[in-house]
Amino acid sequence: MTSPEASESGAGDPEESDPGLARERTRLSWTRTAISFAALGGVVLKENVITGLVILAVAPVIWRLGRLSVSGSPPDQLPIVSAARIRVITVSIVGVSLLSLLVAVLGPSVPGALHR
Amino acid sequence: MSRSGRFAAWWPGGADPEEGHEPDARFTFANERTFLAWSRTALALVVAGLGIVQLLPPFPGVPFGRHLVGVPLIVLGAVLAIVAYGEWVRNQRALRRGDPLPRSVMPWILAATIAGMAIVSAIVLLISALR
Repeated sequence: MTSPEASESGAGDPEESDPGLARERTRLSWTRTAISFAALGGVVLKENVITGLVILAVAPVIWRLGRLSVSGSPPDQLPIVSAARIRVITVSIVGVSLLSLLVAVLGPSVPGALHR
Repeated sequence: MSRSGRFAAWWPGGADPEEGHEPDARFTFANERTFLAWSRTALALVVAGLGIVQLLPPFPGVPFGRHLVGVPLIVLGAVLAIVAYGEWVRNQRALRRGDPLPRSVMPWILAATIAGMAIVSAIVLLISALR
């Protein structure tokens, strides 16, 4: 982690001269996470259409959350806005895991599907 | 701190405006990206577990072999997501207070579980090969 002194010096690291890069990287990270949800939804879709569609529907929500700009928030609200988004992700993953568990345990398996 | 006890450890007390001071936004974003990276790892584990249970051919002689390998991966995905949230909260609080970042337990959880699953998979494969 960069020390405050190094941050103020602004030498070397391009991010020091343009802190917006951190926001951009974070936004891209949200996009990758949304794609991961979509991938999981696609896998589940093959086994259980309704569950798959539910998981697929989470993907655009995650993507939209990533697009929410926190730059306009007052400084003391930045982490609060962030915390709400983080909680949405956590709850989504736990919910999606439970759905996947149900599909895995109760759903009809396709033995040897990878060999077809 | 307005909240205390165990609950506080899981509440984003790092976001308590009265505690500490607002950290550099870049550090907040970096903390968020770390959480998102762990989230994707959790989702990948769920996909892997589901794929093992649903798509692999059954292991001969081991009736619940696929479930034995796949279900723990799905459960680990959920556990990772919850622990990642707790770590995000602790890191954010440390950033606000200017404390050193706490040591992460996530790599230990992931490494221990994957090693355990590798052993279970090897045992299932051996039993299935010997039948």
